[in-house]
Amino acid sequence: MTVKTSSARKNGTVRAGAEAASEPIPLRYGDDPYVWACWLYYEDHMTQGDIAEIMGISRATVNSYLADARARGIVNISLEPSRLSSLSIAQELKRHFGLHDCLVVPSDDNTRPLIDRLGGAAAQALAKLLKSGDTLAVAWGRTVLAIAEQVSVPGLQDVTIVQATGGTAASFAYTPELCASAIAGAVKAKLINITAPAVVSTAEVRDMLLREPLIQSQFGALAKANKALFGISSLRPNSTIHTSGFFESVSLQQYLARDAVGVVAGRFIDGQGNPVAGPLDDRTIGISLDMLKAIGLRIAVAGGFDKVPAILATLRGGYVNVLITDAATGRGILNADGVTELDQKLSQRPRVDNTVALPSNYRTHIKKFLNDPNDVVEEMLDGVVKANAAYVMPIKGSHRALVARTGPRPGKVGLVVGGGTGHEPCFLGYVGKGLADAVAVGNIFSSPPPGTIFQCANAASGGQGVLFVYGNYAGDVMNFEMAAEIAAEHNIEVRTVVTTDDIASSPLEDKEGRRGVAGNFFMFKIAGAACDRGLSLDACEAVTRKANARTFTMGVALEPCSMPQTRRHNFEIGPDDIEIGMGIHGEPGVIREKMMSADAITDRIMDRIFSEMKPAAGDHVAVLVNSFGATPMMELYILFRRVEQRLSAKDITIEANWVGHYCTSLDMVGASITVMHLDAELTELLHHPCDTAVLRIG
Amino acid sequence: MSDNAARRLSRMFYRISIAIEAGKDHLSDLDGAIGDADHGITMSLGFMAVNAELAKLNLDDTLPSEVFTAAASAFLDAVGASTGPLYATAFRRAAQALKQDECLSAADQAMIVEAMTTGIKERGKGQRGDKTMLDAWIPATEAAVNARARSAGGPEMWNSILEAAEAGANSTRSMVAARGRAARLGERSLGHMDPGAASAVIILRAMKDTFGEGEPAR
Repeated sequence: MTVKTSSARKNGTVRAGAEAASEPIPLRYGDDPYVWACWLYYEDHMTQGDIAEIMGISRATVNSYLADARARGIVNISLEPSRLSSLSIAQELKRHFGLHDCLVVPSDDNTRPLIDRLGGAAAQALAKLLKSGDTLAVAWGRTVLAIAEQVSVPGLQDVTIVQATGGTAASFAYTPELCASAIAGAVKAKLINITAPAVVSTAEVRDMLLREPLIQSQFGALAKANKALFGISSLRPNSTIHTSGFFESVSLQQYLARDAVGVVAGRFIDGQGNPVAGPLDDRTIGISLDMLKAIGLRIAVAGGFDKVPAILATLRGGYVNVLITDAATGRGILNADGVTELDQKLSQRPRVDNTVALPSNYRTHIKKFLNDPNDVVEEMLDGVVKANAAYVMPIKGSHRALVARTGPRPGKVGLVVGGGTGHEPCFLGYVGKGLADAVAVGNIFSSPPPGTIFQCANAASGGQGVLFVYGNYAGDVMNFEMAAEIAAEHNIEVRTVVTTDDIASSPLEDKEGRRGVAGNFFMFKIAGAACDRGLSLDACEAVTRKANARTFTMGVALEPCSMPQTRRHNFEIGPDDIEIGMGIHGEPGVIREKMMSADAITDRIMDRIFSEMKPAAGDHVAVLVNSFGATPMMELYILFRRVEQRLSAKDITIEANWVGHYCTSLDMVGASITVMHLDAELTELLHHPCDTAVLRIG
Repeated sequence: MSDNAARRLSRMFYRISIAIEAGKDHLSDLDGAIGDADHGITMSLGFMAVNAELAKLNLDDTLPSEVFTAAASAFLDAVGASTGPLYATAFRRAAQALKQDECLSAADQAMIVEAMTTGIKERGKGQRGDKTMLDAWIPATEAAVNARARSAGGPEMWNSILEAAEAGANSTRSMVAARGRAARLGERSLGHMDPGAASAVIILRAMKDTFGEGEPAR
């Protein structure tokens, strides 16, 4: 095959048409450059760059030939049917039970016993899921041992394996001790055994053992587990649970009589996944079902037809969020839960080909620090709860509802704030002494649900009522209103101040319709101070309303933000355009204008603020210059410089100012300017001490 | 395994979830034009949570109204936002309307659509022409009520419901938003279909497909 010199290639004009290729097509490909490109790519395994050289066309054209060839059916990529089917079963299971993930082993590979294949698959999964610093609780069983025999995870640091149940005197190969130590050995982790029997003779013995400092410390380690690995045992007559000798058979019969269908980590559950009470309950030493459910990643590995009811029960009970099983069992579980026909319909669904040929240097996604985009909020909150541990703690274990460690107290009005995420450090950074008592956290740019907000109200309540302060958005209003209704049913009096500081969002005559943006910073501060000083609910509400009426914000975006799930810009702002009147949710602004200088932008904003604020010479204000996420401090100070010039020219004193990231919109490039028009009361409350992760005064 | 009413409803939610998932990016793009680009994500999250919750029920021993009640809490807790309270209230109203009903006749199906619309109206304090999901739900309800009045069969009723909802959703293109975040855009919301109305059509189509397949031949 001849290769042209590069100088000749550069002159070739390239189009996605057959005649455009500058190199004559070898006879065997007919006159079809698609077939030629495909042959070189799929059969000769050449890179797209090499193919471009040979064909004398650009890499982008090669790329588009390959994409078109798939769209036209010249190339068909097929997955082996058994693998395809196990993939679609995994997808169904994941969707149907809302799992975090699911791995299904193809069923028609009968060369190895099922238990080995499950063990192998789980070993691979574990290698992906186990990370440095993890504490993994490991239950016992044949499957777990099969995993231990095949797993190898090199390069991990500080992993701890904790035996999830006590031990046994029974003589089989997969005792709790052996399973835990085999896994620990395979991943080179620190091992913590539970040095007590799993089942003891009486409840008194159990209680005594649990009081032993050694066993207490072992349970302390177990409680720290962030991942769990376990099998699921059926209670069918042929199940190993009967033959292993782990449980006394008399007791087993009693659990069976009470409709137990399976055993998870040594605990019995019924068909709906509810715990089944029985004679062993208070004689068992090991992880409880509640402890198990509180673990973040719960990996269950189980397969075989006889286990379908037990696995289904485990799924229904929510004890598992990563399931590893085989295709026949997976299909059985779906059938048992009545999704057969849909399963078939789904597999017949026409495929949508989203392949779009793009130049190789075209950017389709924004880079972000992510693990699983669906976990961003949870993972961020994990970080927040740890980073701000001095200020906040979760309410009833939920990271979506955080309460100040030194906030609520009897006789004080409780302050609850909240809203969607993506605005950090708003809202959760403002929880602490002298500021908000609790914060309700929603999904990205989405209000938290009423249940979460009510938990906050309940935790913040000191018997003198609770004040809700949040931005004016339809979703927040509905959810906070529903929460207030629930609070009323619990005899907690709630008052609400909906913040409306964004002067660009509606004209003056529709002031109540405006949205709440970065000015929340001041409203929270004033409300928090009023509550901390022990003012009445009436007074707290009144002064917060006054703060809202006297706070004016306007924002400008230079570039849009992008959601972690899509990693694309929500909308586009032209190369020379800016959005004036930008909100904090990536929603487009009110007017689009041509880019102008920093001072001109500041003047536009300050003119508008002055026209509403109507300040007099000698007045005092507080100023906040806030980044929307991606605008650096350097530019914020340039804006502040001009704000200060405009204020001092009017003989207005800046009583206090803040410049930085206080209420953001993910990675949006832009900033907002907020001015609060102070009076004596607001000044005093502004200077009242507070101590939170983001704001400390006094 | 008998194909009882609860099972049909569970399948309906399952279908909705699949359809929303398939339209997720499209819905988010519509939202990006006038909102914060998360409508597809939010709706998908909500119906995934509904599926997970319904999977925990013993459907052989569940009333249709209980399916709606479970769906309401699951959707609300997973979503929050504005769609959370709106659809949660819609499902709760449907549950109240169904009471102890177990047959899901065509008249019941009309009642479900009507009750859901009432719930959305109540919670969002919205009306037709606001450029919201109600611009699909209200015409759909009118079509359902009309069909019931002339004793139309299920398939005919659902055809007219879907037609009305689609026409309603299309009509949002020429409306200026009066509620929700898009309201702050004023006339800039013109020309874009409301994402909430678009997802309402997806939901109604999945309902039609579910109730359509179980219709006895007459």
